[in-house]
Amino acid sequence: MLSAALAIASKDLRLLLSRGTGLVQALLLGLLLIFVFSLSQRVGEVMGPQGAAAIFWLASAFCQVLIFNTLFAIEEANGARFGLLLAPVPVQAVWLGKGIAGFTLLLCAQAVFLPAAIVFLGQTVSPLWHVGLATVLLADVGIVALGALLGALSQGQAARESLLSIVLFPLLVPVLLAGIRVGAAAFADDIPEGVESWLGLVAAFDALFLGAGIVLFPFVYGGEE
Amino acid sequence: MLLRLTKVAKFYGNRLVIKDVSFEVSPGTVTLLAGPNGAGKSTLLKLMAGLSRPSVGSVERGIADEALGYLGHQTFIYPELTAFENLAFWARLHGLAQERCSEEALLAALERMELKRFAFERAGGFSRGMAQRLNLARVLLLSPSLLLLDEPGTGLDTRSMAILHREIAAARDRGAGIVWISHSVAEDLARADRVLAIADKRVVYSGPAADYVPEAVAC
Repeated sequence: MLSAALAIASKDLRLLLSRGTGLVQALLLGLLLIFVFSLSQRVGEVMGPQGAAAIFWLASAFCQVLIFNTLFAIEEANGARFGLLLAPVPVQAVWLGKGIAGFTLLLCAQAVFLPAAIVFLGQTVSPLWHVGLATVLLADVGIVALGALLGALSQGQAARESLLSIVLFPLLVPVLLAGIRVGAAAFADDIPEGVESWLGLVAAFDALFLGAGIVLFPFVYGGEE
Repeated sequence: MLLRLTKVAKFYGNRLVIKDVSFEVSPGTVTLLAGPNGAGKSTLLKLMAGLSRPSVGSVERGIADEALGYLGHQTFIYPELTAFENLAFWARLHGLAQERCSEEALLAALERMELKRFAFERAGGFSRGMAQRLNLARVLLLSPSLLLLDEPGTGLDTRSMAILHREIAAARDRGAGIVWISHSVAEDLARADRVLAIADKRVVYSGPAADYVPEAVAC
């Protein structure tokens, strides 16, 4: 299953990076959000670390909706979804492959959002940047696990695409809150209070979303029109 | 037995698409699936492929999942990838042994479909006939024991049709069972061993191709 998932992920990354459209749109949306929020500041005013972390995660969350819509739309153009379903591997390989591709693309996008947040929101990188990085990686696992599951619901049909963002954001709230709270460490000099509890919460939701993906994906990704 | 359908019916919501289909596919046979547009032929083929579940009845397959080849209306092609990359992806996804998905093997598969000189061109620039030949190369690369074809000849030129007919005959000769929805039944009847004709949501003929008279069952 892992081999099939890696085949799907490498194909998706090659397609998106060669075509660029899906990723560029996602990047532009995220950058636009950061830039627009930066305009709310007065000249010389510096945003607090938590506010900057919130904007960073908001950009990441919107970006990943576009990433997963694009990743699943790839399979709809010439009916390749049926080919994936006919492959002699568990259908969860598709979920895992899309998740790996989505995780890579989200990290690439965040590698752009982070310096943008530093520049536009007037932040500095703190000595505790590794705590922020660990939080980003941990929260991203949960975000992509859920994104890959709910992205399958969209399957390129416009009416269903809106479902992704409607269902996704409420479910992501705990992970995003923890990401904002602990991720602020990347911009602050102190480790936020209760960091272990927040990281524990993210890990618990990661496990929940990974389990939900494995169990529920076969029910949302099928051959019925 | 490669495939057996027993008393199969399919509903989409409250709409009945097909009912009471019982049918068996044996190795080394070509079965032509005939019927007017909207009769439920493609639905039946998807049920056979396992892409759709029957509402009533059962579909049993006597083969492993990797021994199934399905060629539908759509080409399963990623337009941004080259013909070679498309084949390599499907070969890797199906976990083919190294000798069957080596560069030589993939180029040989493209050569068989007369696509070798286009191997490293983007598939998005292919004509309908070339795309369908690439699709056929993908299916045949898997050496399927059961081959399900949904109007594979649609939009193909004479040369592509000749390649398609040659490959169907070759697959039958090596013992594959083939179920084939054709848009020109009268022409393809001579290439079939059996016919399963569907009209008005049910089977109206199931028997040897030699005894099938299309006009008699209004297909």
